[in-house]
Amino acid sequence: MELSAQLCDHFFRPRNVGDADEPSFTGRSASLSCGALVRFSIQVDEAHLISQARFRAAGCDVLTAAASVLTEQVQGVTTAEAAGIEAVTLSQQIGSEKVRCVELACNALLDAIREYSNAARDDWAGDEALICTCFFVSESTIEREIQTRGLTSVAEVTRACNAGGGCGSCHQLIQEILETNDLPR
Amino acid sequence: MIYLDNNATTRVAPEVLDAMHPYLGQLFGNPSSVHALGREMKKAMEHSREHVASLIGAADVNEIVFTSCGSESDNWAIRGVLATQPEKKHIVTTLVEHEAVRNLCRLLESEGYEITWLGVDHNGELDLDELRGAIRPDTALVSTMLANNETGVLFPIEAIGRIVRESSEALFHVDGVQAVGKIPIDLKNTAIDLFALSGHKLHAPQGIGALFVRNGVSLPSWIIGGGQEQGRRAGTSAVPNIVGLGAACRLAHEDDGHARIERLRNRLEDEILKTIPNARLNGVSDRSKRLPNTSNISFAYVDGQNILMHLDQAGICVSTGSACHSTTSESSPTLRAMNVPYPVAQGSIRFSLGRYNTEEEIETTLGVLPDIISKLAAMSPYQEELNAERGSFTGLND
Repeated sequence: MELSAQLCDHFFRPRNVGDADEPSFTGRSASLSCGALVRFSIQVDEAHLISQARFRAAGCDVLTAAASVLTEQVQGVTTAEAAGIEAVTLSQQIGSEKVRCVELACNALLDAIREYSNAARDDWAGDEALICTCFFVSESTIEREIQTRGLTSVAEVTRACNAGGGCGSCHQLIQEILETNDLPR
Repeated sequence: MIYLDNNATTRVAPEVLDAMHPYLGQLFGNPSSVHALGREMKKAMEHSREHVASLIGAADVNEIVFTSCGSESDNWAIRGVLATQPEKKHIVTTLVEHEAVRNLCRLLESEGYEITWLGVDHNGELDLDELRGAIRPDTALVSTMLANNETGVLFPIEAIGRIVRESSEALFHVDGVQAVGKIPIDLKNTAIDLFALSGHKLHAPQGIGALFVRNGVSLPSWIIGGGQEQGRRAGTSAVPNIVGLGAACRLAHEDDGHARIERLRNRLEDEILKTIPNARLNGVSDRSKRLPNTSNISFAYVDGQNILMHLDQAGICVSTGSACHSTTSESSPTLRAMNVPYPVAQGSIRFSLGRYNTEEEIETTLGVLPDIISKLAAMSPYQEELNAERGSFTGLND
């Protein structure tokens, strides 16, 4: 098969292979159809930027190259931005039609970001409970948006205040807030 | 380039090319023509038929019918046998057949046939008692391969034939495509009714196959048209290819290169298993039960396609059981049937040697492979598993 130059480069000389330094957050993604497995580990600095991204993969050329490219793309960006990278776009960038394999890499990254988000949420020391760690949206902000605008779904909340628009780890929490604020209309 | 993918296809032998050459030039006649040129073609064709018959030990040259490829031979044999016994709706075959048989049987399943799919053990071998138990009065056909294309594991077709004969009226078809030219075959005293072979697996060109149809077995025509091949297979005979197949069969019959190929294969296999910790053989370790040219080796916890591409970059051609295409992606049905664990099957590489491989090529391959595997192993997410493999590794041959 013919590979694009970028794909070939990242496949034969993958960047950032290994594990991120501790403390790190890890995500995995596996394909049941082909058996490929990919693992991402990231380190996030105090400014909430990804300071280190590493991967390991046992999968095809496209998966390996996509994971390698991703580690470079997410270096120094916010988790929200990293979580927003879409498989279709990345596939086009690296010149492959195998979106499925690229998606596997994206999902492992997303999984790592979610692990970070869950930990960051638990560790949050601010006055108000933090729900969306990608866009820093507090519980009270979400409640206010729900009440003033009469929002009824997670998607509406995301549109109104960005909460839930990043890694998606807070969707369940937003759903719960929606349910407790489900006022009779 | 080092070509270790001879189970996929083989290079046309120079002797074969020489034999074919006149038939792509001045000897261009139609063997069905009555004039001198036609008769000349006919003679060349019948000469080839003798070589094919002789290589596979057919009792009568007229038991050989030329086709376009192995898949045509398999399809014709199976469909034909079913057409002559419309009241019988049961077929026995195996889970590890080539697609030409496996996918046809899947299709027949959807057309109302009942298929008994025989499994294999972890060595890739059949349970003959299971086979015996699967045959029923309404079994129209038993179809098994002789040599597995992926692992090289041989099925005991003589024993299978005896079981089929003893216990039923069913016909016995063998897909011999991967075995012909690699091991001695003698169909005369077997219970094999139909036997498929393909030229390009034994240094003839692509586009030529044959089906052995035992005398007395009636097989309706599949391609309808003229009276070629004694009315059994219509279509103008592909004389250059037929001559090529004949020359290739003669070469395989006369040549003593098989022992050399086996020695090279053994060297490659032994050394890989001895030096690479996560390497393990797929298929029975008893080499007398495998093709002499094939080694299917899994490099556990690394991806086969990755290995293939790194070898490709080093100029070495192999195959892998794990295929990732834009539309499909699955591990090999043969390895799945053998219960090879997923992350092990995923790293399978098939080395299949041929008459043009040299000792030097094998050494070159052995020189580059360990670095490729260790580089990919270092990248693998299965570090704990790999460490366990390294810990328990002593070299399988020590």
